[in-house]
Amino acid sequence: MNLDWLDSFLIYGFFTIVIVAGLGTLLHLQLGLARMANFGVVGFFGIGMYAFGILYVKVDWPFEDPWQFLVCALCGTLVAGIAGLVVGWLIADMNEDGVLVGTLGFATAVFILATTEKELTGGAQGMGGLNFPFDVGGVKANEAAWLIVATFVVALIIFYVWRVHRSPYGRLLVAVGANEPLARSLGKPTFRIKLWLFAISSAGMGLLGALYGVNERFMRPTNLGVDITLAAMVALVLGGSARVWGATVGVILTVGFFDIVVQNYLPVPREWYSQALPVAREALFGAALILVLMFRPSGILGDMRRDKLMRSLHRD
Amino acid sequence: MQLIGDSLVIGLTEHAPLVLAAIGFALLYRLTGLLNVAYSETVTLGAYFGMWVNTTFDLNFYAVLLPAGILAGLVSVGTYFAVFRPAKRRNVGTLELVIISFGLSIFLRYTLQYVFGYPVRFYDVPPPQTWRLLGTGVSTFRLLALASVAVISLLLYWFIQKSRLGLQIRALASDEGLAQASGIRPLFVTVLIWFIAGVAGGLAGAFYGVGSSVVPFMGWRQFLFILMVVLVGGTRGLGGVIVVGAATGVALAALTLELGQAYYAQLVLITGFVVYLKWRSRRVAETGKV
Repeated sequence: MNLDWLDSFLIYGFFTIVIVAGLGTLLHLQLGLARMANFGVVGFFGIGMYAFGILYVKVDWPFEDPWQFLVCALCGTLVAGIAGLVVGWLIADMNEDGVLVGTLGFATAVFILATTEKELTGGAQGMGGLNFPFDVGGVKANEAAWLIVATFVVALIIFYVWRVHRSPYGRLLVAVGANEPLARSLGKPTFRIKLWLFAISSAGMGLLGALYGVNERFMRPTNLGVDITLAAMVALVLGGSARVWGATVGVILTVGFFDIVVQNYLPVPREWYSQALPVAREALFGAALILVLMFRPSGILGDMRRDKLMRSLHRD
Repeated sequence: MQLIGDSLVIGLTEHAPLVLAAIGFALLYRLTGLLNVAYSETVTLGAYFGMWVNTTFDLNFYAVLLPAGILAGLVSVGTYFAVFRPAKRRNVGTLELVIISFGLSIFLRYTLQYVFGYPVRFYDVPPPQTWRLLGTGVSTFRLLALASVAVISLLLYWFIQKSRLGLQIRALASDEGLAQASGIRPLFVTVLIWFIAGVAGGLAGAFYGVGSSVVPFMGWRQFLFILMVVLVGGTRGLGGVIVVGAATGVALAALTLELGQAYYAQLVLITGFVVYLKWRSRRVAETGKV
């Protein structure tokens, strides 16, 4: 198969789409179902990336790749999950302001630690030494193979979320998000449900951070900008925060449009690539978030099927 | 003893704008119930407006405060009419409003770069003299900034607590229906709240900007602390916000001196604030049990 059209720039664009789709789908569990607005997505993503990177680069493992990668990625996921458990414990019974402080505060803490702990993280200069856990022949082939791996992981995440939607646990999450006091009065352990949901979804964000770190081959605090949280949130809201495929649809229309269509196929002046385009991208993402929530709060895909069913039953 | 003196002087002079920004945010939060993340951009825009007036018209720093504050106040009112009022009319939920304000914050932060340019900008002010206060060197400029922030904060406090318009603002916050029945014009008072909050944020931004540099992320970097000061101090009214804001500035300075890095000081304070908020929410939940 001729893959000449697939250059590194395009692979990077597709990889970003896949990672943001994964983050948005996990955010869907938190925001779309349990109504916990995580403004610190990048914190969990970042702690997973750094935990993975530090273990991969600094520890002298008795085995080599791919086992080294698998063990370090598992540890990165666990660290992000534990962080999610701690932050979840702090915010699960708080209202919107507490959740905002807790999640933003966590993201800030991760950024601070990534910047200050030079011995471990390389500080503001960053840390290299990450590499693909396989070699299938050349940089481009490795990048393409890594894109396939990331797509497989994100597909698993979407499958898990799809299963959650169709399980009693998913219905419980919807109930907690819709009316927590009512769910609690019916004897449901709402705090524990939110806590574990937050921990598991944060662990998933950490795993995506580890995959991202390998693709970058270099970790630096500038990777932990608010743009990652924004991209995941705008994709989810645009696609439909109540729907499993919401983030995937949203990310194609947002990141896909900018990182693939505009950057690869539109005749944009070269000098725009360094600042004008990235700035326009973020400004338009921000505007999209406002416009969608004001004029189409349920996003492109709309409400959950069961909500539509309930409304039609009530109409009858 | 030296640490206490240094912390007081550095904390109060360097972080005085935090108090001013927190007062503006508290007004909005307490009186409209809105957790406006885009307030951080009011702070940033205040710094940019001040820098623009200062460098374009060659005015000294204190002359640019008035236009910087008014322009930031007008932007704040503009965001109310363009975004928050229509959203409220469409019955957008509380959580969605927070996300909208997050989107607005990002939109303003990046759009302003098209207006003011991408490079880091600076105020054109003469180098300040240094005085010694409690054994610590501090620039005359910072002392003047502290005095200005103190005066503006007290004026705002007086306006909200004692003036007739302040009374109307508080009445509207307590019970909109009753306030309207008493002849208070809700739109006028709401616009006034947004304008005053914008002026306070803009002035804080100008003080932040002149002390260092003017960059698009400057308001966002302060936002978490503004938010935490308001959530912790706001339960005791504007007085509480002023006290907690000043205490936060002193604590940041003390921890920076003790730990050697401003980042570590921020980390300790963020942890402390979040743990306090958790403890308070649990205490409220316990009190609510019957």
